[in-house]
Amino acid sequence: MMNRYSALIKKIVFSAIVIVLAIVTILLAVRPHESEDSNQKTLNVLNWTSYIPTEVVKDFEEEFGVKVNYGTYSSNEELLAKLTSSREGTYDLVFPSDYMVNLMISRNLLEPLDHGKLENINNLNPLFLNQQYDSDNVYSLPFLMATTVFLYDTTVVDRLTSYKDLQNPALENNLVMLDDQRIIIGAMLNACGYDMNDVHEDHLESSLEFFNKIKPNIKAFDSDSPKTFFITKEVDAGIVWNAEAILAREENPDLKISYPAEGFALSMDNYTIVKGAKNVDYAYLFIDYLLRPEVAQKIVDEYPYISTNKYVESLPEAELRQILENGSYVENVGADIKRFDKLWAKYK
Amino acid sequence: MTKNSSNVSITDQLEPNKRFDFFKAVFTLPVIIYALLLVFIPLIYILFLSFLKSDNYGGYLYEFNLENYGEIFDSTYLSIFLKSAVIGLITTFICLLISYPFAIFLRDLPEKRRNLIMKLVMVPFLTNSLIRTYGLITLLRKNGVINSVLLGAGVISSPLALMYNNLGIIIGMVYTLLPFMLLPVCSAVAKVDQNLLDASEDLGAGKLAKFFRIYLPLTLQGAFNGSLMVFIPAIGYFFIADILGGGKAMIIGNLIKNQFLTARNWPLGAAFSILLLLFTFVLVKIYQKIGGNLDELGGG
Repeated sequence: MMNRYSALIKKIVFSAIVIVLAIVTILLAVRPHESEDSNQKTLNVLNWTSYIPTEVVKDFEEEFGVKVNYGTYSSNEELLAKLTSSREGTYDLVFPSDYMVNLMISRNLLEPLDHGKLENINNLNPLFLNQQYDSDNVYSLPFLMATTVFLYDTTVVDRLTSYKDLQNPALENNLVMLDDQRIIIGAMLNACGYDMNDVHEDHLESSLEFFNKIKPNIKAFDSDSPKTFFITKEVDAGIVWNAEAILAREENPDLKISYPAEGFALSMDNYTIVKGAKNVDYAYLFIDYLLRPEVAQKIVDEYPYISTNKYVESLPEAELRQILENGSYVENVGADIKRFDKLWAKYK
Repeated sequence: MTKNSSNVSITDQLEPNKRFDFFKAVFTLPVIIYALLLVFIPLIYILFLSFLKSDNYGGYLYEFNLENYGEIFDSTYLSIFLKSAVIGLITTFICLLISYPFAIFLRDLPEKRRNLIMKLVMVPFLTNSLIRTYGLITLLRKNGVINSVLLGAGVISSPLALMYNNLGIIIGMVYTLLPFMLLPVCSAVAKVDQNLLDASEDLGAGKLAKFFRIYLPLTLQGAFNGSLMVFIPAIGYFFIADILGGGKAMIIGNLIKNQFLTARNWPLGAAFSILLLLFTFVLVKIYQKIGGNLDELGGG
């Protein structure tokens, strides 16, 4: 009899231990990570993957004694989801692109910028200021610009300047394109003589017709690393982002870059401070640091997008003007995004 | 004493069940909480979401509507479902074709060697499937290992197109999903009664007759079990279609992913997910109907 009771007690004690351990584990797991030291100066940055070299961030931390919590995202939509699903004050500094700046302003997610707090603001090339998505730069300042370009191997095709050239039978199963519906549908709209943000049903339909003539030449859609396709000689031509094109050309000097004559996509990423940010002063400090010519140079040396800093070696002024004039930004099309999505399924 | 013993007898009669339930509850509670938090609640959320309206910015409006389910019947989406099903069926069929001869070969081996071979089959699958899929690129691409060897040996004169097409998707799917077919088929084939095989041989059955009249009918359940576990992931594994298909083919998995990431239309993505769940549910019901055991779906 005693045995039976002691066995029962043993079982109860054992279960109690299990329950306590389980609760402790759960509590430990859900307890928010508090910074080790509340006096530690921190800055919470959320930026695109592969955009600022780690070295640049480390130098900033050393110089100013501010710890940077550096998170990354790979699309504007992901950034938006992260901002809207986290508590206010989680992030300080983020880098949305053009249309996302516009959307974030309309959803009241951004803090107006105090230009006076930025000593190096005059290093910005005025060409890139006052863009349509934030016409007086109230909430954003331009950081880096990307453009879509043609990249092609001159030993295979001698000329690639118009979207029509992509129909060249010599390029059969030999093209790579960004896996991005707005960019590629936009390019096809450009090819048909329309604006890349055009949502007219007939215009979208003719873009599909044009695309179908190029389709047999497409080997793959890839946004992650289209340069790899060129480096491994998997393809000889394609539509890629400018930085990818430059990096691929460094590996293979036969590659040439050109701008599509009918128009191409621009994408500008911006410094913006999140509404309710807790470390606003450090955010300005970091922006000001990134605006230094030598820092801006380091960034484009590693990721060769177009710098907005006028002291950075870049394309000639006239060419920059030409790019801004011929290219266009992807705009927020509201509910019509559904049409693009369905059309994309047809493209593929 | 009498009092005492009667007390004990009552506890003996009443307590065991109660006690058993108590301990059972203690030890199953973590699993129940886990399932509730990570499976059930998200599913209810997805179901709820599928009846809402997208606000076009990745959010949603609390307005009841059935439009998302209506979209499913759009011809564009129907053709994607069809294509997914075709890729899924081909993958399943190839997995079956590979699994049966392998299972029959394995059956006749001594146990030690059988275990060793099974381990060799399983070891690669301890690596993350995404990484293995990237690994396949180095084998399959134009200047990859397979093409360079074949070109070097003079077997082919121009590189084979092994990836960035439907073939690449199917190679990737078969490679990734094969163990889910191998395990149930091998275990079913191993259970076939040797006496039946001996008897059939005595009666003059050849290898084909043995396969079609003994192995196949007796292992149908295992084969269906495996087919279910290959077919269902095959219509959803978007990363294989993206990486090895060059992003050219859209399957249901990509379609759902796009709704959540690029089209910013979570309600529509949720509706597609519910459709996929219903479809899976129907297949599992069919499996049960033909006499399948649900426990075996757990891990073969």
